[in-house]
Amino acid sequence: MSKTALLQALKLSKRFGGLQAVQSVDLSVNVGEVVGLIGPNGAGKTTLFNMLAGSMAPSGGQLFFDGLDCTGASAHQMAKLGLARTFQITSVFSALSVWENVLAATYRHQQASWMSAFFQTRGFRDEQVLMQHRAEEALRQTQLLHRNRDTAHSLPYGEQRKLEIAIALACAPRLLLLDEPAAGMNPEEGAKLVQLIHRLRDQGMAVLLVEHHMRVVMGVCDRVVVINSGEKIAEGSPQEVVQHPEVIRVYLGREAVHA
Amino acid sequence: MSFFKPVQALVLGVLLLPLAMGNDYVLHMLTLWALYSLLALSLNIVVGFLGELSFGHAAFFGVGAYTSSLLVMQLHWPMWITPLAAAAMAALLGWLIGYVSLRIVGPQFAILTLGFGAIVLTITNYWVDVTRGPMGLSQIPAFSLPALGLDFSHAIHMYPLALLLLIVVLYGCHVLQHSRQGRAFIATRENRELAAAIGINVFRTKLIGFVVATALAGFTGALYAHYLRVITPDLMSLSYMSAMLIMVVIGGKGSLYGPVLGALLYTFLLEALRSSGAWRMVVFAALLIACVVFLPGGLVSLWRRRQGAIA
Repeated sequence: MSKTALLQALKLSKRFGGLQAVQSVDLSVNVGEVVGLIGPNGAGKTTLFNMLAGSMAPSGGQLFFDGLDCTGASAHQMAKLGLARTFQITSVFSALSVWENVLAATYRHQQASWMSAFFQTRGFRDEQVLMQHRAEEALRQTQLLHRNRDTAHSLPYGEQRKLEIAIALACAPRLLLLDEPAAGMNPEEGAKLVQLIHRLRDQGMAVLLVEHHMRVVMGVCDRVVVINSGEKIAEGSPQEVVQHPEVIRVYLGREAVHA
Repeated sequence: MSFFKPVQALVLGVLLLPLAMGNDYVLHMLTLWALYSLLALSLNIVVGFLGELSFGHAAFFGVGAYTSSLLVMQLHWPMWITPLAAAAMAALLGWLIGYVSLRIVGPQFAILTLGFGAIVLTITNYWVDVTRGPMGLSQIPAFSLPALGLDFSHAIHMYPLALLLLIVVLYGCHVLQHSRQGRAFIATRENRELAAAIGINVFRTKLIGFVVATALAGFTGALYAHYLRVITPDLMSLSYMSAMLIMVVIGGKGSLYGPVLGALLYTFLLEALRSSGAWRMVVFAALLIACVVFLPGGLVSLWRRRQGAIA
């Protein structure tokens, strides 16, 4: 529990009727740190992830963002605090162009009202230029700039996943939550993703990723949290975690370490 | 952000031409077109930008028409304020309905607005003491500026005013499409979850859009009432509601000029078909069906194929 924890979950729990999906999980993500969240299917990763992102209210425990108690905050409130996320099932504005997708994501950092747009005030125009730069930068970082005029749904799957990340980056978040970002990517794209995450961390962004691809997890994470049946069973560096007997039993033993 | 391009200037020129010719009938039709365009543009905010189907929009139009007329006739309010009061009244009702129903979206929301429309229509029909029931209101005072010799119940005076308002509202919608708020509308329409994830309060955004749309509908209702000087509860009926939806969908929902084109088609095609007598509605309906089948993106999609994406 470092004092620079950006996101901190204390005894977070979620119960669906008789099913305890997440049981008293402690988790923290520090500034400039990449944390991996792994576990077998049905372990409660996505439930935990959704609670952290505000899309699901926890039934117990507390959640802090930058020291601020935001237990039970909604998704848009978490986003306003500086948290951006991607979705397990690709989620983009599919009918809009790539450019419109990222431009929409600059919402959080815009202030200009409709009135200032109506009168084309200097403030409005300056802000537009700034947001366009930000959108351009998000596309450049994800190597999608050449696609900016294409409609999102016309992109191949791997690029749609990149677009999701571009949308999250255009929010200029302090914490990025990635839900299985490498799913559907080929090894080359996966490697580029690892590079991108490293770059983001070096820029001071905190990243939490849920991932199945062990190569990505091992290559990029500073710390790994393993959950099984809704409970945290191990935490530590990737090297420590893969040697943890409990982890080998529930996870790695069953699904051999694969890329 | 260039709103006025040569094409627009040309179209405006053509639209102003009938003024010089002074044909009352044509000018009357054009005035109705401009007013219907305003109405269709307001519905377009809900149907096109927010992506919600509302069957209650005619009720807001009617509420605006009745509010403004009654304020002038019963309470003798000065007439240049009453359209704003009508907009405020419609917006207040819109806020109430939106606040209650926008947490639910999709078909359920459409049904709720249908119920609301039916309630408002029924009240207007039976609250005879105030609304004069099915008789409607007649001899509604017209806007006028006697000093300048302007009487806005005459098409030749009302048409330029309506056209000016239409241009202002069109510009407002154009600006909206490129503003933070407008992008938020589109984002909530396209993907609610992702919209929330980028920091948009989906409920609040939809409520803002709905209130703005209802205010504009109420305002247009007031203009309509003082122009025609006769209104009946029919304004709130489903036939007006379907007319508005036709304008928006045929023209191209979510686009800037679609609703305006739809209103043009609706106003003039129905007139042109008068000669077909009893077959009028049948022919009109057949044309609408053909339009929906062959141009699912509306009339504007014809133009957009050449121009590239506008919306």
